[in-house]
Amino acid sequence: MSYKIPMGPYHPALEEPYKLDLICEDETVVDAQLHIGFNFRGIEHLAETRNYIQVIPLLERVCGICSNIHTLSLCQTMEELLEVTPPPRALYIRVIMAELERLHSHVLWAGVAGKIMGFKTMFMKCFALREKVMQVLEAISGNRVNYAMNRIGGVNRDILHPATVLAMVEALESEMVHTIIPVFTTSTTALSRCAGIGVLTREQAIACGVVGPTARASGLSQDIRKSAPYAAYAEMDFHVPVETAGDVRARLLVRALEIIESCNILRQALTKLPVRPVYTEIEDIVFPTGTATSRVEAPRGEVMYSVSWEEDSDNPSRVHVRTPTYANMPAVRWMVIGAQLGETPLIQASIDPCYSCTDR
Amino acid sequence: MNVLETLPEELGTDNAWSEKGRAHWLTCDGLNVRDLAKGLIEHQARFITITAIQLPDDEGIRMDYHWDLDGQLLGFQFLVANNQIESIYDLCEAANWIEREIHEYFAVDFLGRDYEPLFLRKGDKPGVNLREEDE
Repeated sequence: MSYKIPMGPYHPALEEPYKLDLICEDETVVDAQLHIGFNFRGIEHLAETRNYIQVIPLLERVCGICSNIHTLSLCQTMEELLEVTPPPRALYIRVIMAELERLHSHVLWAGVAGKIMGFKTMFMKCFALREKVMQVLEAISGNRVNYAMNRIGGVNRDILHPATVLAMVEALESEMVHTIIPVFTTSTTALSRCAGIGVLTREQAIACGVVGPTARASGLSQDIRKSAPYAAYAEMDFHVPVETAGDVRARLLVRALEIIESCNILRQALTKLPVRPVYTEIEDIVFPTGTATSRVEAPRGEVMYSVSWEEDSDNPSRVHVRTPTYANMPAVRWMVIGAQLGETPLIQASIDPCYSCTDR
Repeated sequence: MNVLETLPEELGTDNAWSEKGRAHWLTCDGLNVRDLAKGLIEHQARFITITAIQLPDDEGIRMDYHWDLDGQLLGFQFLVANNQIESIYDLCEAANWIEREIHEYFAVDFLGRDYEPLFLRKGDKPGVNLREEDE
């Protein structure tokens, strides 16, 4: 006999509201239905009522974890419409902010995953480390969550003392390499809870159009930083980790390896930071009629913005945001089918879902 | 010859790509959205999303289909007649949520599929939850 277990919208493991109806036979999940939209905010519509200055902080609030990525994508579309090129130093600072944000996001995820695994020490360790990443972000931007770094034509703040930031990043890297990464890659507790569960095959990953670490853990080597470089990524030497097992362990390994790559990129960007200025002066902002698109690799995967403007208007006529969780979440249905009920919270968490982004 | 060069001919159009910013765009006069999806899937392109845009002066709705082919962003613009266009959901599972979302935001009917609510809550109607609240 099959029965339905509704999980959410007040989720037992995750912080944001969504609902997963699990159809079970005994304790095995045989199907699942996802429901989102409990915190739908209509930000895309609101954006049409904001001018080109106001729309930046509005879109920064699509997500509290990857807020910088949203202003970066938006500013890239506006720069394309205005045919403005940011100076090289601004492009490097954009890379630095994006990689710090990735570190912060991946460590936050590792902490939440540790908690769901019942590995509370890991949760504490990760959150203490995440605090240090946020201190670096605060040292650069003056802010801990919404950094207000991006503007049309560059960035709002310079990194005045890159050597100091580099020292902070190297201290972080050392701590990550000696604590979090060994635990997540060798600990029996972590691996036994993750290996072989929540499998998304390569074929399913392609059909669902998943992105980011979720795709790379299913054998798809896709990363916008490599395939369509933006900011200063074309000048960075880094590796894109790919695993083929498609299970929760593979997603964990991909993120662990990405932490190391982010530190590697940060070291290069901070060492090679070009000379000032940090933004291009624009005398008169007049948008032409047109549509521009921008894609960036957020911590959870590809973010795409499509922004349309009508000539002489200060407000965009359309802003469309495709977030990574929007692409990844439907795949959870395939991940939980065949799983044991007790495994489903960790499987859901393994895509690092963000409902703030999804319910934008 | 790369796929970008051969794709228009495979799809049965003489239209050429135009490159704008970070995307390659193909005008889709006379093209069928399902034939396009089939052709792109054959080449292992990845569906990204659909952007619906309400055009000014009652010109209707434009749908921009975005696909990724080996890291290249491809865009295909379709003008929607009578708020109806064929669904590609059965060909491409990744299009499910965005078709449902556009149905709710813009009241576009994707032919050949059923809908379950995505963002709409009880009592809401398609096409009014975002666009027409001030009218």
